[in-house]
Amino acid sequence: MRLGAVIGRVTLSVTVPGLEGARWLVVSPFTREHFQQGSVPLPGVSKDPSLVVYDALGGGTGDTVGFVEGREAAQPFEVAPPIDAVTAALVDSVYYQPKPSS
Amino acid sequence: MLLARVEGNLTATRKHSSFEGWRLVICQPISRDGQAEGVPQVAIDSLGAGMHQRVIISSDGSAARIAVGDSKSPARWMIVGIVDEVNPGTTALEDSVA
Repeated sequence: MRLGAVIGRVTLSVTVPGLEGARWLVVSPFTREHFQQGSVPLPGVSKDPSLVVYDALGGGTGDTVGFVEGREAAQPFEVAPPIDAVTAALVDSVYYQPKPSS
Repeated sequence: MLLARVEGNLTATRKHSSFEGWRLVICQPISRDGQAEGVPQVAIDSLGAGMHQRVIISSDGSAARIAVGDSKSPARWMIVGIVDEVNPGTTALEDSVA
C-alpha cells in the first residue's frame, strides 16, 4: 500500500460490466519528500505520476488515502474487475520519523 | 522481498475490514548500507517491528491474504522478518537515532 493525496474525482458515463456506479479518485502518490514534510502538505502535485483509484471507502478531495496497486486491487470483488488500484484505508494520522542522517 | 527500515506508522478508522486490528507501518526500502531507495510502502506487521529497525517486506498478496485470514483482502505488503545483520554491510540491528 502506498499513501497519496486525493486531488480529484472521475465519473464515467460508459463502463465495462461490473464497474457501473463505481467511485473513482484521482490520487497523487506521496514520495519520500512528502513524508518528510510532516503534516504540512507539499504544494502542487507529486513528481510521481497521478493515478485513478477505485474507491469503496468514500474518500474526498484533500484526504490522504492508502491505496493498493496490482492484482491485489481486484481481490475484494466476487468477479475480478479490470482494476489495478483500490483504496484500502482512509488515513486519519501519520507518524513519520525518518532516520535523521538520511 | 525488499530490505526496508521502519520509519513510522499510521492510523485509519475507515479501512478494508481485513486490516482491522493490524499494525500498519511505513517501511522505507533501503540499500545494504541503509540509504533510502524508492517510495515508502505501508505494510502490515505481526512481528512488532520497532522504529528504525531493519525488516524484510514481501509483496506477496497471496501470503498476506492468508495472514489476515480474508481471501478478499487487498493486503499486499507484509513484514516477514526483522533483520539481525546484513553481510557484507552492517551488523547494526537498527539505525541509531541522533
